[in-house]
Amino acid sequence: MKALVLLGCPEAPSQTPIGLYASYKLGQMGYDVTVSSNPAAGKILDISDPEGVYVKKRVDIEKCLDEIEEGDYDLLVGCVHKDAAATFFITYYHILKCKALALVFSRDAEEVAEFADMVESSTDADVIAVRAFHNPNPIKVRFDKYLKTLEE
Amino acid sequence: MSFCLETYLQQNDDYEILVQRSGVKQCYKLIEENSKELIHVNPGDKVLGARLIGLPPIPVGINEDEGAILITYTKPCHGTAAIKIPISPEEIESVRAMDIGDG
Repeated sequence: MKALVLLGCPEAPSQTPIGLYASYKLGQMGYDVTVSSNPAAGKILDISDPEGVYVKKRVDIEKCLDEIEEGDYDLLVGCVHKDAAATFFITYYHILKCKALALVFSRDAEEVAEFADMVESSTDADVIAVRAFHNPNPIKVRFDKYLKTLEE
Repeated sequence: MSFCLETYLQQNDDYEILVQRSGVKQCYKLIEENSKELIHVNPGDKVLGARLIGLPPIPVGINEDEGAILITYTKPCHGTAAIKIPISPEEIESVRAMDIGDG
């Protein structure tokens, strides 16, 4: 099974720990995990995980977008914390046509609702929507619950 | 024509930016307001070789008299821009053929 973890702009502090955690947890579940990010988010991952303990494979978000095709991955997990991140997630979803989870978060409740609505009205992806910015724990707790449903 | 849109934008000055660092819905509105003809494509469809990023259905404007199309361009950290770029008559026909409708 192959999973793609999609990261957006790294300005949201919760994104990097959640990206590392998602890559780790999905790897533990047997997924062959690739993290797709822009260069800025990728550099943060490289420095956070210099030995590649948590992120085994990393690709550029735009190069990956150009090359992926339907069927390349079994699961898409995306961090959605900006308008652009929602559009990237939705586009990846429409190309891959696989099971997908959007981790929607922001410090602003209106943005959480707006981005969740963008994803829900354009995809059949599962959505976790929480207020979170510096503290990734609200996302982690919901993500862990979701992963248990995948294991059932 | 198949090309890298980012490289094109870096190496040419014959395009117009209608808005940049914006939200995707605002860009769609501008494209709709500034286009004489509109078609729609799915997210990920390749227009002039570049995969369009956005919410379905994605509007693409065609101004045949100007020899230009209007599309969105999204970067993770910089949001979405609406841009007008030159296009040949043959390429206009290939873009028209991609229309999925606006439903």
